[in-house]
Amino acid sequence: MAATSMNDIKARMKSVKSTMQITKAMELVATSKLRKAKESVERSRPFHEILRAAIDEIESSNEIKDSVWSMPTEGKRTLFIVIAGDRGLAGGYNSNVFKTCKSAAEGTEPLYLPVGKKALEYYRHRGVEIFSDELDSVGEVSVGDSLAIAERICEGYKAGAYDKVILVYTRFVSMMSEIPTTEVVLPLEPANESAPLRTSDPIMGGDPEEILEAIIPDYVGGVINSAVREALASEMAARRTAMNSANKNAEEMIDTLMLRYNRARQALITQEITEIVSGSEAL
Amino acid sequence: MRQFSLEIVTPDGVMWQGDAESLLVRTHDGDVEILAGHADYLASVATGRARIITGGTERFASTQGGFLSVTREGVKLVAITFEFAENIDLERAKRARERAEEAISRAKNDRDIVLAKAKLKRAISRINVAEMK
Repeated sequence: MAATSMNDIKARMKSVKSTMQITKAMELVATSKLRKAKESVERSRPFHEILRAAIDEIESSNEIKDSVWSMPTEGKRTLFIVIAGDRGLAGGYNSNVFKTCKSAAEGTEPLYLPVGKKALEYYRHRGVEIFSDELDSVGEVSVGDSLAIAERICEGYKAGAYDKVILVYTRFVSMMSEIPTTEVVLPLEPANESAPLRTSDPIMGGDPEEILEAIIPDYVGGVINSAVREALASEMAARRTAMNSANKNAEEMIDTLMLRYNRARQALITQEITEIVSGSEAL
Repeated sequence: MRQFSLEIVTPDGVMWQGDAESLLVRTHDGDVEILAGHADYLASVATGRARIITGGTERFASTQGGFLSVTREGVKLVAITFEFAENIDLERAKRARERAEEAISRAKNDRDIVLAKAKLKRAISRINVAEMK
């Protein structure tokens, strides 16, 4: 009896150990990818920050008052750009993004642009309206892809297919924390006029409206591009944390199993001794 | 020659930062050259060749899209791509040109043609800049 339970415990320990090997490897991979992803987040930030400042400037410095891009809208029909991961096993990373998006989408007529395999699967499964399914791998979204999709988003916005564009992604705060965030991309939020760069209106190289028209898709592309980088870094950080706690749990489990194994072994020995002693007494 | 501070930023990061004597870029209104002491200026950037003069040496680059902003504090060029001539892979650019030409001949709708033409333009701009060095 004791021998079979010992074998069971041994088998259990073996399976926990082999799972731990996998989770350990995944943690290492996530850690090294995280380092690269973090650098790429930092590199991608200045681009859309400077473009944003330039857009504010054009909008505030001249006659453009009723630009399509900055007129406040009801936000009835809304395009949600949802950036999630390509894979699971990252704790609540994917489901937190979907939850955040769900609460943001309440009371609107949503249209979805999923980025990443998990996001695409999630929205396909729910049978909701999908804007485009071409960004099915978040790890492979290039700068060019971001700009191409931004061009289409801006076209649709101008044509009135939707009157609000909201980006849902996970912001990378630090190695230990990432926060699911929503960000309004279009219409543009009112300019922040606290820090004017110039004393007088600048000379415009061309019609201000045309300049705006030319750079807004670039700006939107820049925003998407850096959100994708942030999401990638967050995914790696979330996976690293999840795998780290999986490792800890596995270690704990192995410890308890070891204890149980030793107890069973001890019980078997005691039983054998008792049997031998009582056997010799009988002789 | 007097210098001004110049910063060139793309989605891949800051590509160049420092003092320069001149910056020549192709805007949607044509080529524009910025020298030190230029008035405040804003323009959108087209696909084409850019030239920086710094410390008396000329450097050429292929640039695409984005924005040029001149303020008292300095000049910022925010481009989608910015590649110095010496970093351009000429063979790759030539292959990209062939692919783009093929795509144009195979294109079924206006969208495809517009996309392929933009690709072709970028490839040609790269080739031109790379062959100049």
